[in-house]
Amino acid sequence: MRNQISSMNMSRRQWLKTAAGGLGGLALSGLSSPTASGAGLLSPKAAQFAPKAKRVIFLFINGGPSQFESFDYKPELKTNGGKKGVNKGKLLAPLYDFAQHGESGMWVSDVFPHMAQQTDHLCMLNGMTGPSRAHPIAIPMLHTGEFQFVRPSFGSWVLYGLGTENQNLPGFFTIKPTRTFGGPANYGSAFLPSTFQATRLGWQGQPIKSASISNLKANHSLSSEAERSALELAQKMNQQLLSQTESARGVIDSLNLSEQMRDAVPEVTDLTRETKETLDMYGINGGPTDDFGRQCLLARRLSESGVRFVEISSDGWDHHSGLDKFKKKAETIDKPVAALLADLNQRGLLDETLVLWSGEFGRQPETQVLSGKETLGRDHNAAGYTAWLAGGGSRGGLTHGVTDDLGYKTVEGEVHLHDLHATMLHMLGLDHKKLVYRFGGRDFRLTNIHGNVIHEIVS
Amino acid sequence: MSRMLICLVPVLSIIFSGFAVCGAEPKTKQADSKGLELFKTQIEPVLVKHCYECHSKQGKSVEGGLELDSPSGMMRGGDTGPMVKPHDLEKSSLIQMLRHEGDVSGMPPEEKLSDEVIAAFEEWIRLGSPDTRKETGPTLKEKRLEAAKQHWSFISPQSVKQPKVNLKDWPRDAMIDGFILSAIEKHGMKPVADANRLTLVRRVYFDLIGMPPSPEEVNAFITDKSPDALPKLIDQLLESPRFGERWGRHWLDVVRFAESSGMEFNFSYPHAWPYRNYVIDSLNQDKPYNVFLREQIAGDLIPAKAGDSPEQIEARRIAPSMLSFGPKRHNSSGTGFRMDIVDDQINTVSRATMALTVSCARCHDHKFDPIPTADYYALAGIFLSTEPLYGTIKQKYSNSPTDLLPIGSGAEALHIAAEEYEKKIQTAEKTLTAKKEELKKATEVQKLATTKKAKVERLVATTVVAIPGADGKSEVAAAKEAASQPSQADLDKINAELNKATALVSTLTGQIKPLETQIAELKKNRPARPQYAMSARDRKKPADTTIAIRGDFREKGDIVPRGFLSIVKLEGSPKIPANHSGRLELADWITDERNPLTARVMVNRIWHHLFGRGIVPSVDNFGLIGKEPSHPQLLDALALRCVKEGWSTKKMIRAMMLSRTYQLSSAPSAKNMKIDPNNRLLWRASPRRIEAEAIRDAVLTVSGQLNLDRPHASTVTPLGDTLVRGVATDKLQPPSNYRSVYLPVVRDYVPELFDLFDFPSPSLVSGKRAVTNVPSQALYLRNSKFITEQSKHAAKRLLASKQASDDAAKVELAMNWALARSASKAEREGALQLIQQVRKSGDAQNGETEVNAWAAWFQTLFMTAEFRFLVDVT
Repeated sequence: MRNQISSMNMSRRQWLKTAAGGLGGLALSGLSSPTASGAGLLSPKAAQFAPKAKRVIFLFINGGPSQFESFDYKPELKTNGGKKGVNKGKLLAPLYDFAQHGESGMWVSDVFPHMAQQTDHLCMLNGMTGPSRAHPIAIPMLHTGEFQFVRPSFGSWVLYGLGTENQNLPGFFTIKPTRTFGGPANYGSAFLPSTFQATRLGWQGQPIKSASISNLKANHSLSSEAERSALELAQKMNQQLLSQTESARGVIDSLNLSEQMRDAVPEVTDLTRETKETLDMYGINGGPTDDFGRQCLLARRLSESGVRFVEISSDGWDHHSGLDKFKKKAETIDKPVAALLADLNQRGLLDETLVLWSGEFGRQPETQVLSGKETLGRDHNAAGYTAWLAGGGSRGGLTHGVTDDLGYKTVEGEVHLHDLHATMLHMLGLDHKKLVYRFGGRDFRLTNIHGNVIHEIVS
Repeated sequence: MSRMLICLVPVLSIIFSGFAVCGAEPKTKQADSKGLELFKTQIEPVLVKHCYECHSKQGKSVEGGLELDSPSGMMRGGDTGPMVKPHDLEKSSLIQMLRHEGDVSGMPPEEKLSDEVIAAFEEWIRLGSPDTRKETGPTLKEKRLEAAKQHWSFISPQSVKQPKVNLKDWPRDAMIDGFILSAIEKHGMKPVADANRLTLVRRVYFDLIGMPPSPEEVNAFITDKSPDALPKLIDQLLESPRFGERWGRHWLDVVRFAESSGMEFNFSYPHAWPYRNYVIDSLNQDKPYNVFLREQIAGDLIPAKAGDSPEQIEARRIAPSMLSFGPKRHNSSGTGFRMDIVDDQINTVSRATMALTVSCARCHDHKFDPIPTADYYALAGIFLSTEPLYGTIKQKYSNSPTDLLPIGSGAEALHIAAEEYEKKIQTAEKTLTAKKEELKKATEVQKLATTKKAKVERLVATTVVAIPGADGKSEVAAAKEAASQPSQADLDKINAELNKATALVSTLTGQIKPLETQIAELKKNRPARPQYAMSARDRKKPADTTIAIRGDFREKGDIVPRGFLSIVKLEGSPKIPANHSGRLELADWITDERNPLTARVMVNRIWHHLFGRGIVPSVDNFGLIGKEPSHPQLLDALALRCVKEGWSTKKMIRAMMLSRTYQLSSAPSAKNMKIDPNNRLLWRASPRRIEAEAIRDAVLTVSGQLNLDRPHASTVTPLGDTLVRGVATDKLQPPSNYRSVYLPVVRDYVPELFDLFDFPSPSLVSGKRAVTNVPSQALYLRNSKFITEQSKHAAKRLLASKQASDDAAKVELAMNWALARSASKAEREGALQLIQQVRKSGDAQNGETEVNAWAAWFQTLFMTAEFRFLVDVT
């Protein structure tokens, strides 16, 4: 089943035609009166098989968060702390105590007291492995499944496969993305039409409060009446072209949609519409949790409004030294992430929203030796690290995968990054081997030639 | 058994002499019979039971190109090469597969075979892997390859007689219109009417120079009643410098031109721009396309001829920049880095020139096209023997800088002078560092001597001369004590030491000062450097390379002599001399008139730009999974014509535009719509959206702000060699009124308007752009700073124009500028209403209000589909 958009120059009608003709594997469904047309590429499409999840929220924990201070309980490491490590450093006992939580008895470190209350929603992947322990390779890999070549991002693939539910909003948002290690390529569409790239809100390092989406606000000083007249006049002229080209329909719809988007985006991103109670729950109070709290709340609001893929980012997790500040770092996300899960759950959205919490890799069980000096920190580790999924057809309360007693390597229940991609697509009702796009003489896919669906972690 | 083997060996070696198969070669007779017996009793049954299902002709599939039901298939292996090496367990990856170990797919996939069976396979390989089965004829893969060789694009273009047509008077260009009309008629259709002159003039301007015609230009054309009005206009525009700026950009898409490295560390490429100018100039000069290609592949190797101007020679050396500005991971290094560059070069050169996806054969034989891995590495040898000159400097995350090409008059001398000057600075800095080091030491000596002196002085002053006998000291002890006491002589010595050190400190200090001044002075007065360009050159020791098994260069396969694609064999094409990279020979092979692909690909690209779709719609893929040509005979005729006419791009464009097919109206006919709704047969002119660059240039033309000069270098040049991520966006994309082709193309940071209107990823070869209609485009046209500002400029220009006195005339003139036509009554009324509305809402006395009013009208025009589509103008 090859799903290739044979002509990019596609109007809604053409799209419907081809879809109805069964050309694409992704036929349209539930489209009584789609508002999108030229934006037909983004019209919602049925999954390849019954999906568990409808959308994704990706919490990118940039830098490689330490599993030993978060979610991988290592009593042996604690006992052996101070002994010689396999590499240059000494085994570094986890800095914080762990306890079991929830019905599942999942181990969580003390610095995540709020997340600890959500363990029954978490599908803890303690046996993650990735292809590289270098940021510049691992970050593009996590985002695009490739690092040697420019390839579409995970979100772009999902959007390409499923379209998006709310035509008044972009289907793929990235909030405060990094400009390093691939930068925009991490949310780009590469050879897929640029329609599938993310809409960016802010940059890493910029307070989310000051971030805005370009061109939503007018630069001219026209009254709204005059603006409307201008739009109506343009649309009248566009109507005249309909007899010549279907593309005019695309232009007409895109203008109408822009009107809707202009209203919808500020609305969905306006956090003042939330109650004080909700804001408090997310930790939006000017304190250390404020920024990530806002990102989490935005993620919920966007997902709730039908945005297919939302990525938010927390940076500063690259603890080569100063691991004693891990607790402080953890605080900035603990409450917001827990609030996001609880909030999605109470709104009945968690079941159909797949949440991924992941860095580009994890860390080593031993201290780092930097230019001959031992530091209170840990080096990168891609041979065994932790990420977790929640909701969206992932198996809540499950702890999957084991690293060795000290935590150097995965020994059981490995989930390779490609497997994670494959499995997440599976939860979205997409076969990673069949979600392909032909470019330059080849059918490309997110998982390249790799990846296995890990059925154990699917509910 | 042994007799069977005897006959098997010659059969194998005859049929499959091309393969490195000697599996059945016996070590001893005994081993043979043992091996054959083992095969028959233990190996074959397992193959039948567990493998044939997915790996044989009779099975349900041939996975991975691996056919295990014949001796030759068994020995040849799958797409990634052999997996059995007789007598060599280590090199037989089959064993790893059976064991489900290592970096190979475990086989059979569902469950591992028993240890006994695996042991039998090991024994069988140790015994030389003999096979008792009969050959079953060519494998499916061989059959497929044989068939693939007959694919239309690998067969030379054929000249055929013009087809007969009913509408004999219809064709203008007998060849083009003849083939087109014949196909239309065959499908029971008739072409629509010709486009009116308004439509035509706008279409021609955008197609040739990417800008709208001015009202004067429109008028000149529609009032020129002479029969050669159109050819004249086309010739005039072909001669305009704007032509190269338009068509050069098409080529820049294909060769993934950019001014930064992209990938995870995105370094600026400050010296990529000369190539951009080279392309524009080459198109303006109508450089024959074969020469154009030859220069870009091997311009540095083309020997200068008498009469070549220095500019021509320099242009040829700039041209191979195409091999150097591809996306690169500058943080990587060594063979991996080089192999990735080579892959990008093979991909770009083969797709740009021949529309073949050769780089699919990096890890395994091409899945569809007859391009074996060996061909890929034959080309890889050529490019590995080539040094791309992309510049950059050594810095964190950038490991492998190269030289650059100094350009401009006297560049070489300037470059040498600048380099020598740098050396002078470096030498001075070295001296300075040494002196400083010396000073540091001298100061230390001085300090030590000072301390020592103070101590000794104190001791000398307080010394009590030891007297023997006194205090019961022995003479010897007293003498010893006296000797250990510092004497005046010691003090003198220390003083001398100190003085020497002090003198040295003062000398050095005296030297350092002027040296520092000198260096500062030197740095201040650096001589002007020339401009630089990227380029490429042959490495000192060209060499063949080995096949990298599964694309992993650490796993070395057979060595492959440098060469070209085996599917295109040209009699007498040049051999690659041992001391050449082979690039020039490759360029000659690609541009050889007999190469079945090059000219076809070129005319198809031109066709694509003028008709909205290529005769072969997959313009970058003429391979087996590319699209079939809609008019194969026309494609061939055009390819032959192109070569005959000296590979002239301008002549080809001119011919296509003078065809009647090009000049048709866009108006659909109901009857034809039913038969050919997608206009595949070109019974009308397909409405087309203009590209991002043309949209921007058109806006700037209407606003009167477009600067038609060529900017000096690029705005990336003054950024130097730097990580793009650290550069503020307004420095990466500074405001500019130059033509769009001159805007910087920084990978991942292209201008917003480009990004929104489907500018292709500059990291990928793109002969065909996507066309999308999305709300973010509408938001840009309605709200962006650029559109708002240009609308105001246009309004001011309109208000200053003497051509329009009253409002109605102004509405009309704005319409002329933007859409090259008159306003209808309804449009005029609508516009006047809008203008009144804005006037009313603002302060009438305020000049800004008037500007805003007219800006609103321009902004409205920019929002229309008609502004960015080539359609019938009425």
